[in-house]
Amino acid sequence: MKTPASAFYRNPVKFRMPTSENLVPIRLDIEIDGQRYKDAFTWNPSDPDSEVVLFAKRTVKDLKLPPAFVTQIAQSIQSHLADFRSYEGQDMYAGDKIIPIKLDLRVNHTLVKDQFLWDLNNFESDPEEFARIFCKDMAIEDPEVGPAIAFAIREQLYEIAIQSVVSARESRLSKKGRRGGEYTPVSKGGAVAVDLVKLFGPKSSVVRKRKEWDVYEPIVDLLSNEEVDALEAKEERNFR
Amino acid sequence: MATNSPATATPPPKPADPPSSSAETTPPPSKPPQPEPPSSDSKPSIEPAVVLVPSHSRWFSLDSIHQCEVRHVPEFFDSASSSSKNPRVYKYYRNSIVKYFRYNPSRKITFTDVRKTLVGDVGSIRRVFDFLEAWGLINYLPSSSMNKPLKWDDKDSKSESGSNSAEPPPPVRENTKRICSGCKAVCTIACFACDKYDLTLCARCYVRGNYRVGVSSSDFRRVEISEETKTDWSEKETLNLLEAITHYGDDWKRVSQHVGGRTEKDCVAHFIKLPFGDQFLRYQDGGAASDSANQLKHNAVVPECDSEAGGATEHSKRMRLTPLADASNPIMAQAAFLSALAGSEVAYSAAQAAVATLSEAYKTTKNHRSFPKNTSLQEAGVASNGGNSSDSSQASRFHANILLEKEELDVEKAISEIIEVQMKDIQDKLHRFENSDLMIEKECQQLEQMKNMLFLDQLSLLFQKQSTPKSGERTEGNGVKTN
Repeated sequence: MKTPASAFYRNPVKFRMPTSENLVPIRLDIEIDGQRYKDAFTWNPSDPDSEVVLFAKRTVKDLKLPPAFVTQIAQSIQSHLADFRSYEGQDMYAGDKIIPIKLDLRVNHTLVKDQFLWDLNNFESDPEEFARIFCKDMAIEDPEVGPAIAFAIREQLYEIAIQSVVSARESRLSKKGRRGGEYTPVSKGGAVAVDLVKLFGPKSSVVRKRKEWDVYEPIVDLLSNEEVDALEAKEERNFR
Repeated sequence: MATNSPATATPPPKPADPPSSSAETTPPPSKPPQPEPPSSDSKPSIEPAVVLVPSHSRWFSLDSIHQCEVRHVPEFFDSASSSSKNPRVYKYYRNSIVKYFRYNPSRKITFTDVRKTLVGDVGSIRRVFDFLEAWGLINYLPSSSMNKPLKWDDKDSKSESGSNSAEPPPPVRENTKRICSGCKAVCTIACFACDKYDLTLCARCYVRGNYRVGVSSSDFRRVEISEETKTDWSEKETLNLLEAITHYGDDWKRVSQHVGGRTEKDCVAHFIKLPFGDQFLRYQDGGAASDSANQLKHNAVVPECDSEAGGATEHSKRMRLTPLADASNPIMAQAAFLSALAGSEVAYSAAQAAVATLSEAYKTTKNHRSFPKNTSLQEAGVASNGGNSSDSSQASRFHANILLEKEELDVEKAISEIIEVQMKDIQDKLHRFENSDLMIEKECQQLEQMKNMLFLDQLSLLFQKQSTPKSGERTEGNGVKTN
């Protein structure tokens, strides 16, 4: 099947998040005077910039952080947004990209590990909906897990979208880029685009092989307090 | 409390940035907030906690979206902005925030707490949160029923909350804490206000004549403070109010002038409290009422209604009977309107008289019916001209009987027709059976003939066999073939 070549040369699309809502995942990790503020949330880039300062002030007030955080937070958010906007004008190639997305996160007492395939071409995809259904199906009670999952998915999608822009730029520079064969972009995160031909071709079946079942099964663990403390201590050490 | 009508009068307050501090420190000045019954969906707390909601947020319900919300948070309802920002998402945010707060209503929730649990972009979540907080649907912790001992009368606070304002209460108006300009004492029971020179005198000063030169006693009007707190609007005042509203619309200053003796706020407050307030707002054309009454004066046969209608148009409560008044039949609409105007008893007697005269008219068109009942109907008709109630009901009864007979005849006719059709059906079937019988007979005969022929053939065969054995084989063969 010669589809990969044509897929590669599909018309480039303007950069945007490949989800139904064009939201930017923002991860903040600020430390001032020994106080650490770690947060991750999604931002709507079409909000006016005044919102950034408002949000920063609100957060500082709610969390009772020292006021020095306000400017830091605002700056951090704004730099993220600026990055996003710099990519926005450019093209990215939307080839046949089904990528595996891995979840490996801990929110309060819940540990989530999962892996699944996601179609990058589906611009109507909704990580929030996925997260909501995931929490419902796995009977997760902590309401903070849902947004964390959605955020993790979005972050990975964002990274891959950025890479596709970068690679599109490179390929344009190098005159017609790679031609023929199968285009398998490899991202730094290790997410390899799944070879559609092999998976869904006439000779193989859509049913997953048994040995891969464990990999694709979601694992949700509830940790006890000591385990949480231990993990947190480990993370601190890694951070330092 | 209908908050919609004055909301159209006052421009919607700016939705931007209600300072969260002010919302927290000044709970809106209303009468003690109504305790809302605990929501029916899962309440994690064991004993049913009572959730307090300020009276101006009474419209809130977990299951639906109110017009107020559409106004204040339009981004979710504007389909042009984003396909994903729809009312469902808004409802999800709003309900989860409210439920989160109600889970433990004694402590205030922060935006960051909530934001962590909701999936979506933080900007819109923040806006919904701000809206809910400003309206006191979350983080509403009244420490006592009335924070400040205000001398606001009820109507002032109601009209304020009725005007959809989330801002802190405006400064003191003139009709509270009346201080006599003569003796500088607080007016308590009654005071006299002179609008011309903007003076307020307590009763004592007025009696003593303690006012300026050039001001005469007739310039003052009596203002009862104690009465002001009661909503004792006389009929005349209400009538004046309604007239003024139809004339001046939203210009409350002129309305209050027209009413006289009531301030703007009183007028607004009273108007809101009128049961049909917002219905009336749509009823712009005050002149239409009298026009329709005049028209009906010509059309109606009933004399009684006229005088009543003429007097009734001046009735202060010009209520519109919406169910019937919207009927496409204009006469029906007018009749409904007038009957609402006139009151129930008048309408009743008018209707009876109308029925009586109608039956009379009916009887004159049915001259070919020579039933004994008709004559009695005539009698009934004659007798009912005076407008006696029992006769008119008799007349209507006769009317009904005649109709009944007609129905019976119709039914009989229908039955006979059905029987005819069925008979025809049976006849046709018989016919068909005869035909098929004939055909079968014919076939029988044919078969007989064939049998005979076969017999003949067999006979001839036998003869030929006996005569020539050689040719017999051939004929046998032939016979076999012909067989």
